[in-house]
Amino acid sequence: MAIKTDTMQKSKPGTQMEARREWEIPFATLQREMNRLFDSFFGGVNLSPWAPLERGVAEAFTPRVNVSETDKEIKVSAELPGLDENDIDVSLTRDALTIKGEKKEEKEEKGTSHCRVERSYGSFTRSIPLPVDVNTDKVEATFKKGVLYVTLPKTVNAIEKTKKIQVKSK
Amino acid sequence: MSEVTKEVQEQEKTQVERTRSTNIYTPDVDILEKDDSIIVFADIPGASESSVNITLEKDVLSIYAKVEPEVPEKHQLLRAEYGVGDYQRSFTLSNEVDREKIEAMVKNGVLRLVLPKAKEAQTRKIIVQAG
Repeated sequence: MAIKTDTMQKSKPGTQMEARREWEIPFATLQREMNRLFDSFFGGVNLSPWAPLERGVAEAFTPRVNVSETDKEIKVSAELPGLDENDIDVSLTRDALTIKGEKKEEKEEKGTSHCRVERSYGSFTRSIPLPVDVNTDKVEATFKKGVLYVTLPKTVNAIEKTKKIQVKSK
Repeated sequence: MSEVTKEVQEQEKTQVERTRSTNIYTPDVDILEKDDSIIVFADIPGASESSVNITLEKDVLSIYAKVEPEVPEKHQLLRAEYGVGDYQRSFTLSNEVDREKIEAMVKNGVLRLVLPKAKEAQTRKIIVQAG
């Protein structure tokens, strides 16, 4: 059967990379095959003591976040497909950027049955620690094509604080 | 196996070499079935309606969404939970789908494909009358 089972695999928050990187990491495929083998051996019963908890975790939506920086600014981007800019709440504390929101399931009228569900839904909160002080007044957030981009300019103080240390030879 | 395997079946991946060097990801999809149509939702953050290419060749419906990287190259990545690249996924359609009436829409990084069922394939309810 041509049905792919790998996308149905539980994704724990820490292991989200694997799902997207399978083209690049040949072992991810192998590992998944092994997992499936074990799963079928134990009759699909998750033996982990955290199994009931994991099930809940796997279904909740958590956006994937990328953070990059230059000398002058920090850029945070988050994948939020299916959300509207009004559904997203971005807030800033002294040392962290927090993104809150809810990914809602598309509402369809009655008589609809789900044949395949790979996307996840639900409320989420993500706090991204900021490595340096940022100029809170000049933070800009834009949302386009299902991706949130937040640009945080570093404070003058933070830029100046970066000091290059000379390595001497003896 | 559920009914969907009969109607929208995912194409088995064939090993084809690509000429472009961008990464290609498989988007997550939800498939819903209604009496008169099948609806496919695909998460394709970063792609817009103009960058999505949908082709139908024989029975194979292919989705290809191009994504232009937004973060300038001079930025240094501190944390990378997702890779930026194009999306691709193919499905095999059954004869039940009316190929002329397939509709596609992209909003906020989500592709919505409506595959109407051909008239003959629609479930009809027959009313049982008291004699």
